Amino acid sequence: MSTAIDSGTAGRKAAAATDQVTAIVLDRPVSNRWIVALAAAATATAVFIGALGYLFATGVGIWGINIPVAWGFAITNYVWWIGIAMAGTFISAALLLARQPWRNSVSRFAETMTVISLAIAGLFPIMHLGRPWFAYWLVPYPNVMQLWPQWRSALVWDFVAIACYVVVSLGIWYLGLLPDLASLRDRARRRGAQVFYGLLALGWRGEARHWQRHQSASRLLAGFAVPLVFMVHSMVALDFSEGISPGWHTTLFPPFFVAGALFSGFAVVLALALFLRGIYELHAFITDTDLDRLARMLVALSLFMAYSYALEVFGGLYTGNPDELGMLSERMSGPYAPLYWATLVLNAALPQVLWSRLLRERKPVLLVVSLGVIIGMWLERFVLVVTTLRRGFLASDRGMFYPTAWDWVHLLGSIGLCALLFLLFVRLLPLLPLFEIRKRIFEEG
Amino acid sequence: MRAALAAESPPFRGQGSDRPDEGPRLWRGLDEIGGSTLPQRSGSIPDAAVAGGGLSRRAFLQYAGASLALAGAGGCSRAPEETILPYVEAPEGLVADQPLFYASALPLDGYARGVLVKTTMGRPIKVEGNPKHPASLGGTDIYAQAAVLDLWDPDRSRSLLHQGQPATWEALVADLGEHRRTLEGAGGRGLAILTDTVTSPTLASQITRLLERWPHARWYHPAPSGEAAALRASAAAFGTALTPRIHLDRATVVLALDADPLGPGPEQVMHAAAFAKARDPASATFLRLYAAEPTPSLTGAMADHRLPTRAARIQILAWQLAYRLGLDVPEPPPDDLPDGWVEGVANDLRAAGGSALVLVGPWQPEAVHRLAAAINARLGAIGTTVSYAPSAAATATPHAGDLTVLTTALRAGEIDLLLILDANPAYEALADLHFPQALANAGKVVHLGPYVDETAVLCAWHVPAAHPLETWGDLRAADGVASIVQPSIAPLYNGRTAVELVDALGGEGPAASGRRAYDLVRAHWREALGDAHFDARWQQALRGGMVKGTGLTTRDVRLAPDWQSGLSLTIPAATEGLDLVFRHDATVRDGRQANNPWLQELPKPFTSLTWENAALIAPETARRLGVTDGDLVSIGLGERTLDAPVWRVPGQAPDTLTLSLGYGRRRAGRVGSGIGFDANWLRTAAAPWAAVGASLSPTGRRVELASTQLHHRMEGREHVRSTSLASYRRHGDGPLVDASSLPSLYPERPRGDHAWGMSIDLNACIGCGACTIACQAENNIPVVGKDEVRRGRELHWIRVDRYFAGAPDAPRYLSQPVPCMHCENAPCELVCPVGATVHDSEGLNLQVYNRCVGTRFCSNNCPYRVRRFNFLQYVDSAEPGTSGETLAAQRNPQVTVRQRGVMEKCTYCLQRINAARIQAQTEERALHDGDVVTACQGVCPTRAIVFGDLNLPHGAVARAKRSRRTYSLLWGLNTRPRTTYQMRITNPNRALDDQSG
Repeated sequence: MSTAIDSGTAGRKAAAATDQVTAIVLDRPVSNRWIVALAAAATATAVFIGALGYLFATGVGIWGINIPVAWGFAITNYVWWIGIAMAGTFISAALLLARQPWRNSVSRFAETMTVISLAIAGLFPIMHLGRPWFAYWLVPYPNVMQLWPQWRSALVWDFVAIACYVVVSLGIWYLGLLPDLASLRDRARRRGAQVFYGLLALGWRGEARHWQRHQSASRLLAGFAVPLVFMVHSMVALDFSEGISPGWHTTLFPPFFVAGALFSGFAVVLALALFLRGIYELHAFITDTDLDRLARMLVALSLFMAYSYALEVFGGLYTGNPDELGMLSERMSGPYAPLYWATLVLNAALPQVLWSRLLRERKPVLLVVSLGVIIGMWLERFVLVVTTLRRGFLASDRGMFYPTAWDWVHLLGSIGLCALLFLLFVRLLPLLPLFEIRKRIFEEG
Repeated sequence: MRAALAAESPPFRGQGSDRPDEGPRLWRGLDEIGGSTLPQRSGSIPDAAVAGGGLSRRAFLQYAGASLALAGAGGCSRAPEETILPYVEAPEGLVADQPLFYASALPLDGYARGVLVKTTMGRPIKVEGNPKHPASLGGTDIYAQAAVLDLWDPDRSRSLLHQGQPATWEALVADLGEHRRTLEGAGGRGLAILTDTVTSPTLASQITRLLERWPHARWYHPAPSGEAAALRASAAAFGTALTPRIHLDRATVVLALDADPLGPGPEQVMHAAAFAKARDPASATFLRLYAAEPTPSLTGAMADHRLPTRAARIQILAWQLAYRLGLDVPEPPPDDLPDGWVEGVANDLRAAGGSALVLVGPWQPEAVHRLAAAINARLGAIGTTVSYAPSAAATATPHAGDLTVLTTALRAGEIDLLLILDANPAYEALADLHFPQALANAGKVVHLGPYVDETAVLCAWHVPAAHPLETWGDLRAADGVASIVQPSIAPLYNGRTAVELVDALGGEGPAASGRRAYDLVRAHWREALGDAHFDARWQQALRGGMVKGTGLTTRDVRLAPDWQSGLSLTIPAATEGLDLVFRHDATVRDGRQANNPWLQELPKPFTSLTWENAALIAPETARRLGVTDGDLVSIGLGERTLDAPVWRVPGQAPDTLTLSLGYGRRRAGRVGSGIGFDANWLRTAAAPWAAVGASLSPTGRRVELASTQLHHRMEGREHVRSTSLASYRRHGDGPLVDASSLPSLYPERPRGDHAWGMSIDLNACIGCGACTIACQAENNIPVVGKDEVRRGRELHWIRVDRYFAGAPDAPRYLSQPVPCMHCENAPCELVCPVGATVHDSEGLNLQVYNRCVGTRFCSNNCPYRVRRFNFLQYVDSAEPGTSGETLAAQRNPQVTVRQRGVMEKCTYCLQRINAARIQAQTEERALHDGDVVTACQGVCPTRAIVFGDLNLPHGAVARAKRSRRTYSLLWGLNTRPRTTYQMRITNPNRALDDQSG
């Protein structure tokens, strides 16, 4: 029967794919490049942990923040990291529900990136606190003094949203890993690896019942996750727009933040895809078409960002409020104006080159654009936080923010921590969702 | 335990209210209570234990209590680890948590300002004004507020030194005894005494007696900062050397020629109060102020017409005015003063007649003072707005020589023994005297001063001076009223006073060396007041803070016919280069206060600079010379050069640099040494206050200055509102600004028993900054240091915003104190995730330090930006001068010390509200209007700040808020602030075509 022959061919193809991807974890010798990268990342992480200790021992005064600019890098970094986290959830949840099979080429490492950057994003609000040892006071827990959080504050709801988001995205990630962990367990030849993956696989045997439950759980979590990502980023946006300051006090922020998060998330996924594909020869799995799709997403989101930037300016002009107008001129011509214009170039202008198929097919161009977006989105949040704070309602309370060495150490150190976790991920867990790939092979024949 | 003790004590002890103006019951002569032995006992607290003999059980308990208090205060941020014990039996007169007030006086430039010293548990922690004292009237200046920190300064000299080694008082007395024998034989030849301005009757009579006994001895003092010119002018114009005493409250038109009566000085508080009274828009008359000055002053900032002009041109201005007012002076040459300015002012002065007044600053030469005296006489102002009286300073006598004479005598080797009493000539002397080198020729020098300063290290003996808060003494105010200085704590470091030192040298009788200040001062006053009822009068003087009947009477003066003989009216030759103007620094003054971190961190008017001085320059001049804020320039004058950073100030006269004294100290202490530049380096005896022909060249380097306000233009918004008197009067009865509330989505808050509110009268505020320091002293606000200020982290709860309005070459200066607004719809409360900032039923916006986790969202959402954050553990900072050590003893025990990571802000002095509430409850009555006085309100010289309960319809604050001038800051945000402002009223002369109205 042709189907049988087909399935036999497909079976061989699927097995080959499984072999190739599991080999990265099980058989591939550790390269010098990886060791060097790991050493660098580990060093950065060690510095980061040391700097964290110093921060907690001394206080947030080691940063450049002040009155009026009471928020600085910590909040910028927080919004940036949480934005990066969005793409993984969106890819695995929204595209799953929308039955977009191409997501499978990138979903695993995108989800991993989500988990890692969420963990790092969660650090910054705690680091940011004046008294971080009381961070748990934001949690509504029963206590003898019957003190509850102050429910009108967006920060409380932000905390709740993120807590939910962490649970759901961890669930999605681990659930997706289960069958693949079983594959690794089955193919592992060393005893240690067998036990390690065996324990992680939670007794997955690939029964139909398992698959059936796996599928419904996946869909269920995806159903949770999709509104949740929108909620989380809307909540982050409300941290700002709840404030009365010009530049923050706008209803535009929730969709604007969601789009921005998706934008930076896709940029990170694109950059990682380019790297992983090059290093681990995954051209067969992360195809040119997949990259093309990611690039198209980037253009679409960039257009939305450009629209948001325009709307922000329009909103300010439309109010005619001197404070709003002052904030516009502050952003466009104040001391941080170069960063504002850099944001516009990197986020709104540069990605437009991807309209051209010729340029879209060039990997260096894709890399430059995606890195540009990653930097541009950080700058956008920085400009948003700092310009609004440095120029308040009273003419007398102007201030300036100059980052200190510690501001940079904490930003770069957090990137180092992310790199460390990701490097460990590529050597310990399957880079691609094997069962999905196998399914796709079978479906496509 | 404490509570139990407090309950046991008689109820009338419960004088916890911070209302110093309720009669003598609130402060007490130290003699009256058991504590009378405390200040007299020799030795600091640790010494008392070994002092041995005669230490009664009661005294021991006092010391033990004070030690405990200090030990507890030392570790304010947490409880000490060791076991601590409460009082078993409280010493009499000392009730835990209940402050006691002592009337005393504090010197500034030698003159007294009456104060009430608040002590808790034996520690002086705060200074309030003495409402009955003429130089205070209840208000104080920044120096009186900062004095308590001077007392606790850990850098103070702690031991008597001989050749740099610790020595004993007895050894010094023995050494002086040998000198005494030689001096007796030589009639005092070879003895010189150098003092600052002396008003102390005891010290003056001591020295006078000494000079009578030893006719060859000499008394020198540095030239007083300006009285000399006025005295000489008075001698020439009226025939007697008298000091002009001005009465701004009686004036309707005032011209200030480079004069700054509202600026820092011993009479600032008095003049400011009189000025505010004369400019009350509700009264029939309203003073109009003209000012011509080279550099902005607090007086110029309040002027209705201000003319920035080079210092030397003031003389031409006075000359023209004299000529126009019909005095027989030669016709002045044509000049380039603005058209009609002089004529307009002259006409206005003439019309005002006897209620007009022309003032001249101490920096101007004698000729200008004499012209002004003649103009005032011509206008008929003498006797109304200005009167003449002898100076209260004993040093204002002609026989005293100044530093120049002393230096000559030193060079000639004529001085065998020099006593330097409370002066620092090695720093303050004009550069061309080369005083330190001359000092090496003296036989032996004995220095008395609070610090081992620039002078002390050049002297054989150094005696630590006792702070006025820890010793006995006496002082006279500028109008002659004498006060007894009474201590509120025993000397911390065995300090001595000038009277003790002079007594040790020249005192008569065998007990000379052992006599303490208390005995000497009492002996003097026993002589002065007479034996009859002396003890009663002494106690009365201590309780009231003044000795009755000591004010100086004014003399009738008449302009002498030959008043202009010897008057040299010259037109300054056109000079190349820049003018230099030397001024006392706006906060650290002549440098004696340089080690006081409160003063260092107080933003200076017009520049908002802290922690150092800068050469002030007009923006236009700066542009021409190609320099800008923070550029380090080299200022050359003759052969000397000085590197200084420049700072642009609108309204500075063109081509004029203002250099402030008081910085560049080499041995001020850990706080004040090595910051800023020493402008004395460019001062010469020929031109002590102004020099011409200076050069400026950029060095290419830059300095980061610490300014607390980066932006001084309101940009079309009216944070400080003002209107002219004419329009104020024309405008009917309604409010000048729409103050109605906007609709709100939030429910009205339930009203409690009280509704606290504050009103700040911008028409009265002169921008002196006393409120900022008073608040700092009251509320345990730490100093953060220059680097932190530069980062924008100063912690002042009430700041004074400064705005420039109008043309940059002749702007209007506006100042606005900004405390927490205590908004009814407070944006900060909405965003705090943990509810650390909440509203109470009395309308207070409270900050719960314990609950604060430090998200700082509240600060971001405060449109007034009045919230302050502890970015670091400032309260335990190891930086010199920021806190720690004995400074902890200054802290107010009723106010929490804040940990790092916690937000803080103005509380409307919640502790004072509660103290008043408890007091009222004890007395079983309701709180009265005026029971609660906030620290900023209490200190304000012009009474610009009014606080109270809005629920009392006839209360002061409710009345103030009904004023037509009332408006809310950022009204459109609908925050409904409880702190409101009353707009400023200007009184321009329409005849003057001038944009500065």
